[in-house]
Amino acid sequence: MGLTVGMTACFLIFLYIRFELSYDSFHSKADRIYRIVCDIKTPTEVIKAGGPSWAVPPNVKDEFPEIESFVRLSNTGILVRKGDAKFQEEHSMWADSSIFHVFDFRLLKGNPKTALRDELCVVFSETAAKKYFGKSNPIGQTLLLFGEGLPARVTGIMKDIPENSHIKADMLLSMSTLTKRFNPDLDGQWGNYGASAYLLLKPGSNPKALQAKFPAFLEKRNGKEMKQSQMYATLTLEPLQDVYLRSTRDGKNTGNITNVYIFSVVATFILMIACINFINLTTARSSERAKEVGIRKVVGAARTQLARQFIGESVIICIIAFLLAVILSSLLLPLFNQLAGKTVSQGIFQNARYVLMLFLAAIGIGLLAGIYPALVLSSFKPVVVLKGRFATGTRGIILRKGLVVAQFSISVALIIGTIVVYDQMNFMRNRALGFRKDLMLVMNTDGDPGTEAFKQAIKGIPAVKSTSLSSSVPGSGNPGAYSEIENKKGDLQIANLDLYFVDFNYIDQFKIKVLAGRGFSRDFLTDTTQAMVLNEAAVKMFGYSSPQEAIGRRFKQWGREGKIIGVIKDFHFRALQEPIKPLSMRIEQRTNLVSANVSAANMTATLASIEAKWKTLIPNRPFSYFFLDEFFNKQYRDEERFGKLFLNFAILAIFISCLGLLGLASYSTMQRTKEIGIRKVMGASVRGIINLLSNEFLTLVILSFFIAMPIAWYFMHAWLQDFAYRTEIGWWVFVLAGSIAVLIAVFTVSFQAIKAAIANPVKSLRTE
Amino acid sequence: MIKIAELEKIYRTEEVETVALNKLSFEVKEGEFVAVMGPSGCGKSTLLNIVGLLDDPDKGSFLFNGIEVADFNERKRADLRKRNIGFVFQSFNLIDELTVFENVELPLIYLGVKAPERKKRVEAVLDKMQIMHRRNHYPQQLSGGQQQRVAVARAVVNKPKLILADEPTGNLDSSNGNEVMQLLTDLNEQGTTIIMVTHSEHDARYSHRIIRMLDGQTVTENILV
Ligand SMILES: Nc1ncnc2c1ncn2[C@@H]1O[C@H](COP(=O)(O)OP(=O)(O)O)[C@@H](O)[C@H]1O
Ligand SMILES: [Mg+2]
Repeated sequence: MGLTVGMTACFLIFLYIRFELSYDSFHSKADRIYRIVCDIKTPTEVIKAGGPSWAVPPNVKDEFPEIESFVRLSNTGILVRKGDAKFQEEHSMWADSSIFHVFDFRLLKGNPKTALRDELCVVFSETAAKKYFGKSNPIGQTLLLFGEGLPARVTGIMKDIPENSHIKADMLLSMSTLTKRFNPDLDGQWGNYGASAYLLLKPGSNPKALQAKFPAFLEKRNGKEMKQSQMYATLTLEPLQDVYLRSTRDGKNTGNITNVYIFSVVATFILMIACINFINLTTARSSERAKEVGIRKVVGAARTQLARQFIGESVIICIIAFLLAVILSSLLLPLFNQLAGKTVSQGIFQNARYVLMLFLAAIGIGLLAGIYPALVLSSFKPVVVLKGRFATGTRGIILRKGLVVAQFSISVALIIGTIVVYDQMNFMRNRALGFRKDLMLVMNTDGDPGTEAFKQAIKGIPAVKSTSLSSSVPGSGNPGAYSEIENKKGDLQIANLDLYFVDFNYIDQFKIKVLAGRGFSRDFLTDTTQAMVLNEAAVKMFGYSSPQEAIGRRFKQWGREGKIIGVIKDFHFRALQEPIKPLSMRIEQRTNLVSANVSAANMTATLASIEAKWKTLIPNRPFSYFFLDEFFNKQYRDEERFGKLFLNFAILAIFISCLGLLGLASYSTMQRTKEIGIRKVMGASVRGIINLLSNEFLTLVILSFFIAMPIAWYFMHAWLQDFAYRTEIGWWVFVLAGSIAVLIAVFTVSFQAIKAAIANPVKSLRTE
Repeated sequence: MIKIAELEKIYRTEEVETVALNKLSFEVKEGEFVAVMGPSGCGKSTLLNIVGLLDDPDKGSFLFNGIEVADFNERKRADLRKRNIGFVFQSFNLIDELTVFENVELPLIYLGVKAPERKKRVEAVLDKMQIMHRRNHYPQQLSGGQQQRVAVARAVVNKPKLILADEPTGNLDSSNGNEVMQLLTDLNEQGTTIIMVTHSEHDARYSHRIIRMLDGQTVTENILV
């Protein structure tokens, strides 16, 4: 039973780990594909970019013969119109035509060589094609892209990109549209970033050697520019299969090798707990069979024969557990997929190889679990056993107690882990972020010409208290800008500053506190073109000891020059994993995010009237909105999932451990029935007996607690390091975890203990 | 000291009802040494258990020192028992995990006697039983006779007024058996009341009076003294 549960859990986790490890492995050239990433060193910091500048890939390809091909991919969101239907296609991507050569994204229709060669060509995934065209053949059909309605031709249908690909897209657009039509010198821009890039190396070429040649190459081609801008790029090659799990450059959406390690450990633990149980119970039961063994020996069974019998039995039990585990796994798989947030496996028999592996593991467990009791039992001296003098050796008892301690240590560690994860989640959700996030409705107009009119129009709705227009809201991401800011010494200091384009109402609307100077105001004509607001972190970076000092200082940034007019209090514009970075804000007219502070009452009606305004003023785009608080917390979805998985494992571990404890407790009370009877005759009270029996196990549980505590602390402390803002692991966490473990253990054991304690001693002492 | 009237005990299992004691009546005076005899299954142990307050009767009256105890609850019985009654069993019933000393100490612990006092009393009684030299041994390391002497020591360590012995010599050879019988006789001479179940006419002759039972009833009483 416990073994089945353990095997099931272990198997599912195993599938999950295998899935995580399988990312991008389906590309047949995977071992030759490398992603180029880029560290950009500015005077103040090192920016870890996910890709090089646009010019790098084509130029390195020309320079170095070992590069067979390159692909640049750039994510985008695009408004697509087909007839009257409008879609905001969020999973779309600009891609060089070589994508089908480098990666194994298979085209079902269309020619992989030419599909993305020409401008304004579109390749859809199967699913997306169905969405747009239903059953009709999409090839050659025309769609209108962007607000201005550029006609694009569908040139290919590709098989849906598998779940275990870190590149995800439903719609590919030809990169030439970007490099030839929109931005003809893009291929020569050494300082413009915005795409990820992959190189396919020729067989047998050495990526290390290639990487070593990059600095000289950059110096030759781009050295002057780098010096001027004080931004020095370093290129690094990441093996394709490391991108998903090991790369730290893509923020939150990718896997994490640490989690994979944690889960492997957890899976091993759970299986170990289950095996321990099994061994424990087999050994415990073995003494009941002492008599049987004695008799068998007397009638002439050899020791090896007996050992074989016991090992055989244990293997058979394991195989039964395995069969049950297979059934249980396939039943639980859909639930598990849901929990993991992705289709880890469609059905376990798709992974027949792994089922086989589990089977072998089961046999292995059976052998291992059988050996110990087999050795003990077959070495019984028949005379001793038959005389009824047999008492389980203290060695066996110590072993079994040790195993229970091990189990509970693992369980307690998992409980502590769960509590810490949840505590951190709680901490992140409840932390004062420094801006108003409640009742803040945000709509993305993608810079539609009707944006400003729409903003004005919804201001007229009574339930809308205030509105603002900006390029970013907390959690949405924002550009970083090459900036020169006057520092304390009076020099213009170069830095890459995060940048928010806002309007006059933004700081008020989001209740961001102004610490010095003032926010933007219509009363100052120059605010539109010559003013900047910094946050505290930025002020600190430029060496000022107080916000006041920064007021009135000069800035140059992206074609604008002027003065710092105000300093705002730091607010969390990114998730709490990240520290608050230096941020600049400036007024910009044409941005895309309309945010509205609405009243809580009659939300449906409010939304309906806002949507009505949208339909008239921004007819070309589908209406969509989000609430800022939910949007911001979405950044913690991975942590939430992690917490949930952890919780489930902890429950599982506890459950299996309790089965083990129950087994040991019932065995132990059974062994002590006579002793309990005697003690009662001597005058022990029921309570005394219960304490006697429970204490034995409580000591074990408490011992486990002290073993688990430092281990759990160590791991969870490491886990918390991922968060720039984190809770402390307080003593209460341990107290809580300990109490839970003790309570559960007491509950488990006391049932047995009470039963034994209230039994009439006369019965247990009757001589047969 | 003990007065039993019309005592009934019926064991019910799913299939059968066994009448273990059937309207049994008898009396034991303070300082007496009574032997109970009868064929196997006639209810001797049942009787002893009830007299020893380990079990309660279904019907009838049981006066212990003049107090009606037949309807006592478990806790009251246990309280009365641990102050007044000591047990000796055929199969010794020592706790294997405890030493001789600890086994004998047990009743005193449950009576709440303080440790130094316990040590004194246990050592005194071990001396008397001549097993002081074995105080740190475990029961398994002793011979049957020695084990039964430990059991007797345990039964008397709290100076009970009544000792109940259920076939105390049943598992012993005759010389060890005689030794135990001698111990019991000595205790009786010092004033302890003893009720002993036995199959052996030889052992029964140590007593003052023999009660013979059959099918849960007393059939005869022989007075020996
Ligand atoms: N706990 C019990 N449940 C059912 N029957 C019992 C129980 N204890 C004793 N008996 C029955 O009651 C009768 C008297 O038993 P007992 O007092 O042990 O006899 P004795 O000690 O004289 O051999 C027997 O028939 C026995 O089987
Ligand atoms: Mg009997």
